[in-house]
Amino acid sequence: MKLRASGISDTGRQRDGNEDYFAMDNAHGLYIIADGMGGHSAGEVASKIAVEIIRRNITNWMNKEPLEDELFDLADPTLGQMGNYILSSIKLANRVIYEMSNEYNEYKGMGTTIGVLAIMPSTVISANVGDSKIYLLRGSAIEPLSREHNMVAEQLEMGLISKEEAKNSPLRHVLTRNLGSLDTVNIDIFEIEPREKDRFLLCTDGLTDLVSDEEILAIINQDNDMEHICQKLIDEANERGGHDNTTVSLVRIEQLKDKRSGILKNFLPLFMRKK
Amino acid sequence: MARIILVFNKKVIKEYPFTKDSLTIGRNDTNDIVIDNLAVSGLHARIDKSGDSYILTDLQSTNGTFVNDKIIASHKLQHKDKITVGKHLLFFAMSQEEQAKLKVAELDRTMILDTAQHKELLEKQAREKGVEASSQKPMLGVINFIDGSDQGEIKLTKKLTKIGKAETSEVRLGGIFMPPTAATISRRPNGYAITATGGKTKVKVNNQTIEDSHFLNDFDTVEIGSYKFQFYSQESEEEI
Repeated sequence: MKLRASGISDTGRQRDGNEDYFAMDNAHGLYIIADGMGGHSAGEVASKIAVEIIRRNITNWMNKEPLEDELFDLADPTLGQMGNYILSSIKLANRVIYEMSNEYNEYKGMGTTIGVLAIMPSTVISANVGDSKIYLLRGSAIEPLSREHNMVAEQLEMGLISKEEAKNSPLRHVLTRNLGSLDTVNIDIFEIEPREKDRFLLCTDGLTDLVSDEEILAIINQDNDMEHICQKLIDEANERGGHDNTTVSLVRIEQLKDKRSGILKNFLPLFMRKK
Repeated sequence: MARIILVFNKKVIKEYPFTKDSLTIGRNDTNDIVIDNLAVSGLHARIDKSGDSYILTDLQSTNGTFVNDKIIASHKLQHKDKITVGKHLLFFAMSQEEQAKLKVAELDRTMILDTAQHKELLEKQAREKGVEASSQKPMLGVINFIDGSDQGEIKLTKKLTKIGKAETSEVRLGGIFMPPTAATISRRPNGYAITATGGKTKVKVNNQTIEDSHFLNDFDTVEIGSYKFQFYSQESEEEI
């Protein structure tokens, strides 16, 4: 499998610091994004801790295939191995942030959103908490692979407000779940079957507050250069005020299956010269 | 620009515009706001401008600093706050632009509501609107084979259900031309979607061959080779 990824994190036009954090790991097909919150620099600490704990744990587990009881919390039987690695690592990050914010005054009230995407040849898994988003771009369509955990999304689901009202609601920044505020956390997780040329976008609300899904789709489809696209998305958010930090991370499946597949794969090295 | 208005015995003594990053209050001449009264400490308190907000800090004064009649160690000042130092009053006033800016900034800050608070708020809104606040049970997809095979009804409890000949498939189908995985059904944020995984066996939804993914609606009929099943969703037992 061949993956390509590009990402940018930008402070925006109105904030002093950047509380967003992200990681991209093509070798493990792992992409993580986080948007921290909390006074002083606690938000920066929370998002960084979350991303690093999750990345280290998942890659460790992938390399050594742990026993089930090495995982944090009980395994979810409706998920495969990788799904459980992801859930377990997010729960662990939540607990660490929660305990830090209770233990130390300077970290009081810190928290973060999280979005995790794992791409494997047979499955793509996305998991999230909070309002950072993960999108699937397949063909000419854009589709969410994450659920928003804020008041507005819940009001919409319950039919209390209209889509128009949701756009301008003052409650759109009120999260109903995050990492760090409770000792346990509920995580939404989705699995899909990957396709060659699938693209995935992970982004924080700095982008989605200001740029609609359709506009994001148009920007991504206009260009082939992934770095270019990321910069364009950031510029678009900043041109519209850039009131928040904005982070975007774009991944593309260049090649799904190794060309040397099937039975020949085992014999190819025998008659191919080494370079 | 914010202002501090010094008042004594109901009379305005002086007005101090906030021109620096911080103002000190005390009895000594070196302070920005000098209050010559024995109830006031030499260096009594300080107001710091931090971004768009103003923070008042008591500098361990003998008689304390009060905001709106409550003793404080440190306090983020709001428009019209009343600061009491000894027998003197200081009123804190922000310009209209500052007030507006602060309001916007507060709304744009992400915050977290705890579960009890947010449930309460949603329930209250539901009552006001007259909408029944349904206990949000997730919908669970079910497929029911109608081709006469003995598969029967299968609940799609997994996030990704593989359908095909492979032993690891959640739904195993036989047949010479059946690929290891003929199709998958994934539970996505927008609902259940079926994806044809390629291979010689065609996947049809309501008699239309699908090339890629297709979101399933209640009572859609799906054909995979000679197998045929119907999709529908029901309320799930599990809580979100």
